[in-house]
Amino acid sequence: MQGRLTVTRPFMVGSVILALSGMAGCTALFTGPVEEGETFDQPLPGLTRAQQLAFARGDEAFEKAFSVKEGLGPIFNQPSCEGCHAGDGRGHPRTNLIRFGRNAGGVFDRLDTEGGPQLQERAIPGVAPETLPAHANAISVRSGPPAFGLGLVEAIPDAVILAGTDPNDANGDGISGRPNMVVPPDWVGVPQTPSVGRFGRKAGVAFLFQQVANAYHQDMGITSDVLPNENPHPVNGTLGDDAPDPEVSRATIDDVLFYLRTLAPPKRGPVTPEVKRGEQLFQQIGCASCHTPSMKTGTHPTIAALSQVDVPLYSDLLLHDMGPDLADNFVEGEAGGTEWRTAPLWGLRLVGDHLGGTHFYLHDGRTSDVREVIQSHGGEAAQARTRFFGLSKQDQDALVMFLLSL
Amino acid sequence: MKKFMTVALSLIMPFSWVFGSPLFSEPTQDTTGQKTERPFVAGGYYDKPFVTRLFGRTAIGGYMEALWKLERAEGVNEGPSFEARRFNLFTHSVVADRLRVAAELEFEHGTEEIKLEFAFLDFEIHPALTFRGGILLSPIGRFNLTHDSPLNNLTERPLVSTLIIPAALSEVGMGFYGAFFPSAESRLTYEIYAVNGLHDGLLAGAGGTRIAEGRGAFDEDNNPLPSLVGRLTYSPLVALEIGASLHTGPYNRYQVDGIQVDDKRNLTIAGLDWEYRQGTWDVTGEYARASIDVPPSLRGLFAERQHGLYTQVNYHFGRGWITMMPRSRFAAVGRYEVVDLDADIAGDAIQRFSLGLNFRPVEDTVFKLDYRTDLHWSRVDVPKRSVGVNFSVASYF
Ligand code: HEC
Ligand code: HEC
Repeated sequence: MQGRLTVTRPFMVGSVILALSGMAGCTALFTGPVEEGETFDQPLPGLTRAQQLAFARGDEAFEKAFSVKEGLGPIFNQPSCEGCHAGDGRGHPRTNLIRFGRNAGGVFDRLDTEGGPQLQERAIPGVAPETLPAHANAISVRSGPPAFGLGLVEAIPDAVILAGTDPNDANGDGISGRPNMVVPPDWVGVPQTPSVGRFGRKAGVAFLFQQVANAYHQDMGITSDVLPNENPHPVNGTLGDDAPDPEVSRATIDDVLFYLRTLAPPKRGPVTPEVKRGEQLFQQIGCASCHTPSMKTGTHPTIAALSQVDVPLYSDLLLHDMGPDLADNFVEGEAGGTEWRTAPLWGLRLVGDHLGGTHFYLHDGRTSDVREVIQSHGGEAAQARTRFFGLSKQDQDALVMFLLSL
Repeated sequence: MKKFMTVALSLIMPFSWVFGSPLFSEPTQDTTGQKTERPFVAGGYYDKPFVTRLFGRTAIGGYMEALWKLERAEGVNEGPSFEARRFNLFTHSVVADRLRVAAELEFEHGTEEIKLEFAFLDFEIHPALTFRGGILLSPIGRFNLTHDSPLNNLTERPLVSTLIIPAALSEVGMGFYGAFFPSAESRLTYEIYAVNGLHDGLLAGAGGTRIAEGRGAFDEDNNPLPSLVGRLTYSPLVALEIGASLHTGPYNRYQVDGIQVDDKRNLTIAGLDWEYRQGTWDVTGEYARASIDVPPSLRGLFAERQHGLYTQVNYHFGRGWITMMPRSRFAAVGRYEVVDLDADIAGDAIQRFSLGLNFRPVEDTVFKLDYRTDLHWSRVDVPKRSVGVNFSVASYF
């Protein structure tokens, strides 16, 4: 007997019941995988192993929230990219940032010496946050746009975007898209000639690399090999923080850049007859004149998944005068105070899933109601708006259903 | 490393004395208690009281915990992995009738983290009044005082007791504790200490306010005001005890060399805990809420209010089912818990449900198997589900 475990009957019966119920419950008790194409954080198909690894590194860096010790600040908006691009989608209005300047007598001043053009309303302990100068009158409140599909957007050749321009409204549809031709700063390391801006709410940035390095610097107060000096404080000048500069390496910027380049857009939702009808109406009433359903990429030198593919983004990436409701008076490159880049509409059906159930639309997330979005479309989009509200209730619903299938 | 060596050596020393004494030392006291011989170095090692007078009155013990764990979220496994979670050593010394010194040294993850969890002196003036000074376990919530792994029926500590009340919270300070007995069945206890309190670290992290990151001001207080921590319990009958506790005081460095450099900012944690036993059942739980003064430039990013709750039901059964181990028993455990890490927004919260089954071959040793399912809401209120399984062993020794 010695050394042998003897057990009583109830114990045996108990363990058998437990083992059986354990096996039966396995699938329900453990989480299942995320469905492909249903979230914003998945890679494009066809990446090599090495590219998958770079994607994973970029993912981690994009999510990483910086602490004060790690170099956050001295002035900043949020501690992580993810903070303003929730789940790689758009930002919650709570994390909106403010750009400001002075627009008077036809002259725009970015108020660079007073902390412009971006308000860093937070600061690390011991540092005063920025405040809006009293004479700033162009105040642009912006939420982070979705972060997926940007490699595809970048891979669309300038010529393809320029083919959609109509600066003098030659076709007489009341819509005159024009590009925001921007000259990149020298640190971007590309020729300083005008290129088609495509990133940012006013398409003020032509290169994803520039957007990433700037985001670290401006939004988080994180210096890098690319931008090694802290964003100066408007009152106190150059201030340090708790970490030596540069706070991230060029390699980290490149990882995040690669991550954004290879983040796939989500799949389209089911195309029901109602959605089909909505799609036709979207074309007919002129929404598609700005929200171009698709553009094609050129040949990408390193990432096969970006080469020669259709990009169903529902945007012409051009600037349009959107009228007074949406105007911010803020000038950015060639974009004036009433102009905005046509917002891409892909992934619209999943916006709420990434923001706790609420859809926040438009450049500042001001509304969750698609009808209100259309109502706010003025300027060049006024005709399309009028036509939309002239549709029968059923047709309006179909068009909304179409938008929410993207 | 050097610190570790010294600490380890000082713990091994009592044993070396046991083995070494007949060879190397001569009796240093005669029957009258007078020193008959000069020690090699007066006050040196062989002249230390634990060698010369206290031997037999110092006890050493501890506990260990190791586990196997598997976590899974969105169909992706994290692990499985083994973890050497804790190895803790206790010493307790009765210096004199009314004087005791107790200490606990904790090694987490091998020697990755070494911490003196407590090291205090108790001087009992009366059962209703004992002085305690040193590094002490802060009496905030019941769990912080009873967090040893072999005591707990689930592998993971309750979230409220780690995130809101940052167990194990030990602080350096001084104060008093005692007990009163209003009737034969009932008891009232109190503990109250002035301590250094927490520090700015609680706002230094990246993920928002994390009170646990503000622990550990053992050398000196970062501000001129101490924090107060205290707990009152009332037990109307042996089976029931209810506790209320409070930790309050400034946490930030607001004065340097007498010059005010910042506003004074307070951290206050209030807790309520309960324990009820009825036959083979018992129910324990804890509620805590924290309010944190956050500087204006960090508001909205760092929470100003946090709170959380856990409640746990334990059912004990199967004593003697294993005939070879007559003292063995089993327990089934269920725990529900929520913490809201930012009470001013909809997200940043965790809900957890845990189920466990454990086996104690003897009272002081436990094998635990447990399962938990979590819902974690991000700061924009997007829920994410994850699950975990642990198999752990923990034992006092
Ligand atoms: C404080 C909030 C905030 C943080 C933090 C932030 N972003 Fe953004 N992001 C924005 C906003 C707002 C815009 C739109 C900017 C504009 O209109 O010029 C934007 C735009 C972008 C764009 C262009 C998207 C498009 O569709 O045009 C990219 C890419 C981007 N951010 C990447 C990043 C990366 C990478 C990080 C981290 C290093 C980051 N962001 C951190 C708010 C933020
Ligand atoms: C003249 C060009 C133009 C036309 C025509 C137009 N839009 Fe837009 N649309 C825009 C621009 C520019 C924005 C971004 C405005 C902003 O963020 O302030 C936008 C934004 C939107 C958004 C919000 C997207 C988001 O991510 O928040 C929706 C939805 C939308 N449009 C639907 C429509 C529909 C439906 C129509 C047809 C009735 C239409 N648009 C016609 C230019 C246009």
